[in-house]
Amino acid sequence: MQVDVVLFAHFSGFQPDGKGGRHARTYELEEGTTIADVIEMIGLPDEPRVIFVNNRHAPEERELRQGDRLAIFPPVAGG
Amino acid sequence: MIAPDALDLHPHRPDEVSVPVPDTALDPELRARLRGSTVAIIGCGGLGSNVAEMLVRSGIGRLTLVDFDVVDERNLNRQFFFRDQIGMPKVTALAENLQRIRSDVRLDLLQDRVTPENLLSIVKGACTIVEAVDEAETKAMIVNTCLAEVPDVPLVTASGLAGYGSTNAIVTECMADNLYVVGDLTSDVRDGHPLFASRVMAAAAAQAHAVVRVLLGFREP
Repeated sequence: MQVDVVLFAHFSGFQPDGKGGRHARTYELEEGTTIADVIEMIGLPDEPRVIFVNNRHAPEERELRQGDRLAIFPPVAGG
Repeated sequence: MIAPDALDLHPHRPDEVSVPVPDTALDPELRARLRGSTVAIIGCGGLGSNVAEMLVRSGIGRLTLVDFDVVDERNLNRQFFFRDQIGMPKVTALAENLQRIRSDVRLDLLQDRVTPENLLSIVKGACTIVEAVDEAETKAMIVNTCLAEVPDVPLVTASGLAGYGSTNAIVTECMADNLYVVGDLTSDVRDGHPLFASRVMAAAAAQAHAVVRVLLGFREP
């Protein structure tokens, strides 16, 4: 299946093509792949993060589906 | 030169402060909408105290203010507090300052840390939620919990407001349904960036204006 993945801020440097930027990349994934699997696959650091699938919050254990748009955003400190 | 103690610093301080907020050019129906709105502000530091001030001046009717901390001298470079409030709980000091602007604003105060256990009771009844804490972990917890549990309530969060960068880099973005993110997304205070009043308050102003726009029915791009 194909899933679009958007990584915000410094997470964008973990896109497999190494080019950064916040535009979506299309990943080819096996059926049953979870968000946590994608995070592990691309090696995101264990930092606070907010996760959306199709513009709604999603837990990391969620299985992705064909055509989903996964976005991951790391909030940074300061307030 | 007039000695400070010769000045009456509060010569016009009636019990009831009548302020024509917002501008009379605003449609009465929209003004009533702001007056009838409740906004929960989680964190009353550099962002939250200034957001609260701007929302009161904008005519929001009711605010929930949450912060565990007390006013410290180091806060005075960017937060809406005064020297004679050092040592006071921030929520109490902020309430005092807000009521000097508009005595009719309704305020619900909680001096406590926000946790996954108390968050939903804090935001219950809010028309819009403002995330204004300083730690990244707490920001993520607030955003994840609110989007999962109260997805229909707009949430305005902030990320990236420290440092010397231009305020032009601070943007407001609708990142997901009902999630508005203000900031440059990258400048982390943990990287040693200083917190300037000008940049923190630019972010606070963007957060406050996002709240007003959301309450009036506008949507950010």
